Amino acid sequence: MAEPGTTDSILDIENLKVNFYTYEGVVRAIDEISFGLANGETLGIVGETGCGKSVTVLSILNLILPPGKIEDGTILYHENDSPVNLVEQSDEFMRAIRGNEISMIFQEAGNALNPVLSINRQVSESFLLHRQEELCTLVLKNIEKNLQKKRWPGLLLRYQKAKYTGKLRKARGNNLQYGRYGRLLKRQATELSIKLLESLGIPNPSEVILRYPHELSGGMQQRVVISMALACNPSILIADEPTSNLDVTIQAQILTLIEELKDKYRSSILFITHDLGVVSEIANRVIVLYAGTLVEFARVRELFKKPLHPYTRALLRSVPTPGKNGRLESIRGNVPNLLNPPSGCRFHPRCPEAMEICTQQKPALYVRKDRDGEKHMVACFLYKE
Amino acid sequence: MCGWDRRTEEQEFIYTLPGTIGTVRIRKNGMYFLKKRRIVREFEQHPRLKEFRFSFGKIVKNPLSVTGLSLIFIFFLIAVFAPVISPPKYEQEPFRIPHEGYSVIPNPPGPGHPFGTTTKQYDIFYGVIWGTRTAFRIGFMVVGTILIIGIAVGSISGYFGGIVDEILMRVVDIFMSLPLFILAMAIVTALGRSLDNIMRSLIIVGWPIYARTIRSSILTIREEDFIKAAKALGSGTFKIILKHILPNAIYPALILASLDIGAMVLTAAALSFLGLGAQEGYADWGQMVSLARNYIVGPQGQPFLFWYVVTIPGLFILFFVLGWNLLGDALRDIFDPKLRRK
Amino acid sequence: MNFLNYIIRRILLLVVVLIGVTLIIFAILTLFSPEQRASAFIKDIKQLSDINSIIKTYGLDRPVYVQYYNWIRQVLSGNFGWSTTVSRTVMEAFKFFLPNTVELALYSAPLIILVGIWLGTISAVHRDKPVDHFTRFLAIVGWSLPTFWFGLVLLMVFYGYFRGLFPPEILGYKAQAYVNSADFVRYTRMNTIDSLLNGKLWIFVDAVRHLVLPVITLTVIQIALVMRIMRSSMLEVMGKGYVLTARAKGASPKVVIKKHARRNALIPVVTVSGWLFAQLMAGVVITETIFNRKGLGWWWAHAATQLDIPAVLMAVLFNGVLFVVTNLVVDILYAYIDPRVRLG
Repeated sequence: MAEPGTTDSILDIENLKVNFYTYEGVVRAIDEISFGLANGETLGIVGETGCGKSVTVLSILNLILPPGKIEDGTILYHENDSPVNLVEQSDEFMRAIRGNEISMIFQEAGNALNPVLSINRQVSESFLLHRQEELCTLVLKNIEKNLQKKRWPGLLLRYQKAKYTGKLRKARGNNLQYGRYGRLLKRQATELSIKLLESLGIPNPSEVILRYPHELSGGMQQRVVISMALACNPSILIADEPTSNLDVTIQAQILTLIEELKDKYRSSILFITHDLGVVSEIANRVIVLYAGTLVEFARVRELFKKPLHPYTRALLRSVPTPGKNGRLESIRGNVPNLLNPPSGCRFHPRCPEAMEICTQQKPALYVRKDRDGEKHMVACFLYKE
Repeated sequence: MCGWDRRTEEQEFIYTLPGTIGTVRIRKNGMYFLKKRRIVREFEQHPRLKEFRFSFGKIVKNPLSVTGLSLIFIFFLIAVFAPVISPPKYEQEPFRIPHEGYSVIPNPPGPGHPFGTTTKQYDIFYGVIWGTRTAFRIGFMVVGTILIIGIAVGSISGYFGGIVDEILMRVVDIFMSLPLFILAMAIVTALGRSLDNIMRSLIIVGWPIYARTIRSSILTIREEDFIKAAKALGSGTFKIILKHILPNAIYPALILASLDIGAMVLTAAALSFLGLGAQEGYADWGQMVSLARNYIVGPQGQPFLFWYVVTIPGLFILFFVLGWNLLGDALRDIFDPKLRRK
Repeated sequence: MNFLNYIIRRILLLVVVLIGVTLIIFAILTLFSPEQRASAFIKDIKQLSDINSIIKTYGLDRPVYVQYYNWIRQVLSGNFGWSTTVSRTVMEAFKFFLPNTVELALYSAPLIILVGIWLGTISAVHRDKPVDHFTRFLAIVGWSLPTFWFGLVLLMVFYGYFRGLFPPEILGYKAQAYVNSADFVRYTRMNTIDSLLNGKLWIFVDAVRHLVLPVITLTVIQIALVMRIMRSSMLEVMGKGYVLTARAKGASPKVVIKKHARRNALIPVVTVSGWLFAQLMAGVVITETIFNRKGLGWWWAHAATQLDIPAVLMAVLFNGVLFVVTNLVVDILYAYIDPRVRLG
């Protein structure tokens, strides 16, 4: 298993700090979070609503809009030869990465789809933005085939061939400016989209693709959204609570689907959820966030069996377990207002085991080894050696 | 105001002033107690008060709304102090513009006539000063009336629904399918030309949109969860309307009203300009522009000779309406829930 | 199929509303005394003494519902009465004045909509920056301008000071004479179009010169309406999930705005456009009066001051029908753009 900073990790986030400058003051949304995503693993991100899960992953793709700002930190992306700090890159660079090497799917599929555009246009967009070269090649292959079969007048085909060969040479992405090449490229993209929808288990893809989002059920919408994200074989897939709005049976289907696709495409997944049940099923390792800070980081079995941080412990105690009787305990107090977060450890006002030092200093991530020798990190002074 | 007890660090929503003894809810041994404690300081304010202060802060910080309010205030002062600024010549009829002589050609600004005189020697200065009062009168009376009618009709329609709603809304639809100006023009023609008839026709024509606005607000709010909660807690119908629905539903209508004051004054001025309003010599801005119709462009070589007859009354109209529009537009932005917290 | 149902339902609603409009017009009619209404049928002064018999003939003293029935019959057969201000039947007058007004509206409407959309988009994209504040301020000032005053000021400057650069009325002396002569064939009776069809470029230029000020007067004031709607609609759309998704897919800002945001933002604008036509008609009354262009508005303004009842009623009827039909078209367009509406 990998830990941040080793050669096996595909994404390293270090000391990420994000602030929001609002009318009422500065909201310190993310306070020095560090973790790593290993190649091929599924990392679960768990926490209450408002603890900063979405903000964290949006920072990876640099999608934070003003009044938010990434104050500090590095996000190293390791896919190519040399690691690249995503925080520092230009918007143009990021656009080539978004939807292409790092994709994101969102919570409400219905909201993620544009209601006035057909499914075709939206799924094809992924191909047209990032895989124009491949589309050109496919179009040229088609033209070759037609030339041999002599189905269309030769002159027309030769003209098209020349056209698209030229286009291949100067394929540009991101701005959908393909002018007169549009027709055949779009047609090709539609074909690819149909195949993609099929591989995601959508029945009658050639029919569905002509429909509009509101004509599909919730589960289907989410599949479409997932397909848009996977169109370009991303190495990292970020899923922001993709199943939270679905009912349980559909949820199970989607989870299975995601796992299958992960194997097929060999991506790593960042899976955000507030549902501990889902996390236990799908993740390899888990990080627990509270009020914008990272409190625990461990393998999933370990976290559930032997939670270290008081918050994690309280969280697990508040979830019903079949077979166990007794009262569910809630955590006393409220989630802090991040305009004025508590000093030191942000959990100390609610922590049953808070000590003097907890109000003064912020705990670092202390490392413990679990039964299998893997790292189990927790940000709590209780575990300081 | 909410109190905060230092000893237990508990805060609770109670209504007492800081420095006095108030009731705080304290948790001890897992149970809740009500104890009397001296309230040390305000911890948080009642949500509605806080919202109000938030809105107020936004209003005074927004340059558009401040400009609007300033303009309105200036006009308000002019209207209030009209008798002082420009004493009426005819004691019983302060709105009659004095005129010395009947000469058709306007005279430029000079001694005794700060803004000059228009056709038939009506004093422009007097006319625009007292015209301010006319404008306020038109604006407030028309908009006030249609606001009340609209709220009444809209509330009935929105809250009770059913066939009442259907009929009322058809009536509203019919009225709203006729452009305001044309219909007002027709009604004034029928009733006879006068400023009061202009106001009446504007009232007849202007209320439907308020009814519809209030109704749609009510329909939206009626389905909100907090209304259902109030019902579940046993609040009576009337109380629900007054306490919960109306305060929320009224905002769009109020914003509409502030914009409409300007619009109504403009429409009334346009109708007066066409000759459907007050008689000649009455202190009304639209009427005064109408007097200027023959003297817009001066003789060859001196095109701007009579600039004051057209420009001055028009500028008064422009700035008056501008003030209300700026205010209304700024209010609209401030109270739009989607744009509010950015 | 659902689309068709939707259209049918809207047309039925239209009929109901039209009937209501006629009721209102009739209500206004009854506000006039029978003598006044009888005078609508008088063609020359001599008939004045006979006014009682006229009242009898046209049943102006009969019960209200009978009068309404008679009146509807009249209207449906195309008889709207006689317009005293222009000395012809209302129908003829309508046909005569229509082209000039259409010409004015034809050039104003697209300008208002296109410029409004453009400014609204810019304002929304650069929210709270100086561009935004400036554009909004200009738009509000434009909205506060009294139409009649603005037109007069424009005349003062561009006609008076700039020596007749953009004159009032419809055509200059020479051009008008030519247009009236036998050499000029009138197809649409709109000077800009006809002059081009006749191949007379100089008349075209002349007509355009005369159009500039009226069009500016009309458009400046309405642009604020479109711009404001577009801006707020755009701001709302830009906060939506699918815009974030588009950005997460790696689309450039231009594509996000053009392909995803704008189309959704245009929906409320389409609705407003319907309303725009009604406003335009109101503006037309004033504008034509100021610039002395003899079109529908000019006719109605005169009718109102001269108590020419048939013409005034015609104005209300026409505007009512226009407004209702425009709204129907807008609703259909709306259903076309937004597929969610078709399911009703």
